[in-house]
Amino acid sequence: MRVRWGIVMLPAVVLSVGLLAASQLVFLRTSFFRDRGFGLVDAQPTLGNYLAIATDAFYLNSLYLTVQVALIVVACSLLMGYPVAYVLTRIPARWATLIIAAIVASALVAEVIKVLGLIVVFSADGVVNRTLVALGAASAPIKILGSITGVVVGLLHFTLGFVILLLFSVLQTIPRSLEEAAGVHGASPLRVFWRVVLPLSAPGVITAGLVIFNLSMGAFTAVSLLGGGRILTLPVLIERTMILETKYGMAASLSAVLLGTVLLINALAALAVSRSRFAVAGSPA
Amino acid sequence: MRTRSSWPSPAQGAATVLLAGVLVFLLAPLVVVAAASLGPGDRPYVSFPPAGLSLHWYLEVPARYWQAVGVSLAVAAGTAVASVVIAMPAALGLVRASFRGKTLVALLLRAPLQIPYVVTGIAFLQAYYLLGSVTGLQLRASYPGLVLGHLFLATPYAIGSIAAVLARLNPRLEEAAASLGASPWRVFRRVTLPVILPGVWGGALYAFIISFGEVPVALFLGGPGRTTFPVEMFASMQFDFSPSLLAVSTAVLLVSFAVLILIQRAIGFDAVMRAGSAR
Repeated sequence: MRVRWGIVMLPAVVLSVGLLAASQLVFLRTSFFRDRGFGLVDAQPTLGNYLAIATDAFYLNSLYLTVQVALIVVACSLLMGYPVAYVLTRIPARWATLIIAAIVASALVAEVIKVLGLIVVFSADGVVNRTLVALGAASAPIKILGSITGVVVGLLHFTLGFVILLLFSVLQTIPRSLEEAAGVHGASPLRVFWRVVLPLSAPGVITAGLVIFNLSMGAFTAVSLLGGGRILTLPVLIERTMILETKYGMAASLSAVLLGTVLLINALAALAVSRSRFAVAGSPA
Repeated sequence: MRTRSSWPSPAQGAATVLLAGVLVFLLAPLVVVAAASLGPGDRPYVSFPPAGLSLHWYLEVPARYWQAVGVSLAVAAGTAVASVVIAMPAALGLVRASFRGKTLVALLLRAPLQIPYVVTGIAFLQAYYLLGSVTGLQLRASYPGLVLGHLFLATPYAIGSIAAVLARLNPRLEEAAASLGASPWRVFRRVTLPVILPGVWGGALYAFIISFGEVPVALFLGGPGRTTFPVEMFASMQFDFSPSLLAVSTAVLLVSFAVLILIQRAIGFDAVMRAGSAR
């Protein structure tokens, strides 16, 4: 007897797609209504919220800041994560397993706990600042919390584990013999990396970059706490608009702008990948 | 014969420094939280390294934190079970079925991964308000409401975790069982399920971890008596910081690691690893 797998999955698909459609349609609909305060909205749908976002420098700056922070985090986590992942494929497996276990364990800890630790470490009288002052590298404690630096450090702490694990799984699949062959034929280590290792791992790098970009664009907890209310990225602004100002229409419009930006950049990246020379090596899964 | 590592020694040194640096960066905040939680109770602020050792702050943890841990455990357990129950048939269908529009269905099932958590929080809250005003059913600040929101976040990971194992299962095994007269249900119970179980555990583990750690969705969907642990921490870190936050965090940290080790012993490193890199 053949099993109709399409029927088996039907209830799960209906529930999942139902939740998706219901929640997204409701908030997109709300985004077309102007707020009257206290969670009430006008009766007539308008484009007013979107026009306000498009013309108000405050909102545009927030969108710009969100993308800027996300791009910085993508660049830093790839630049830090790639060498670590590469080294992990080249050391004895026993050590690699142990280090990966530590990375996994730290990745699974609730984010608020990690941010609490980062606040203690980076506060004005924290370990980092006292060390900097004691070494004479800084004359007074540097203000890390409440700045973009603090937010980037917090997001890196959150994303670095993902990047390392993702790139490790990709780099592991590149046979060592390819590098040796290139070396035997006279390529310098730098050239081997540039012409062999990097192209072969490019799909993984792009995938990891997109994952980190999406995570950073939506990051709320770390940005809120480490930004100290001064770094107003879109997720932080959306929460304030919804909870402090109870402007449901505006919060919904800002959410739509955030979601639209994320989807647009993902689509552009997918398009760019399909046209680039890396397309032959396989598309990002 | 064992070959010596081919790293020339400056490279070896650089690699060691790099690995040590990353481990310190990732683990130091956790160590600092645990160490500072043992500080003496004579000063109401955080000091690291602690000026002395005491369990003072563990006794000073307000009851609402432990209550919030309880809420989080209940919501996370509900999310883990529900997401696996949904993910199993969905993964079976995605791997086995062939029908028109399968690519679209797969895309829709993965869609929650692209949606920022804050957007999900807003969307569900506004949907709950609408549902409440139409039917009188209040899902905000309820367990079902919180689980539903977290289910949305976690199910794509659970599907991915199970589908990955399923894709490697040799269909001949199931065909053999069926040709020997086993009913489809019996084939699933006796052949398919045992093989995909690591994927199921991995998915459930990751669903639990997302639910237990996530702030924005629970911030919007929670409420009086239904505040999760991360949301309680989030609020306290902004408005009434106290060293007892370190104590309750350390307790949660220690229990999480103990449970992770138990799970790793029970179902293997692979499943935990899969959960850690589920994206």
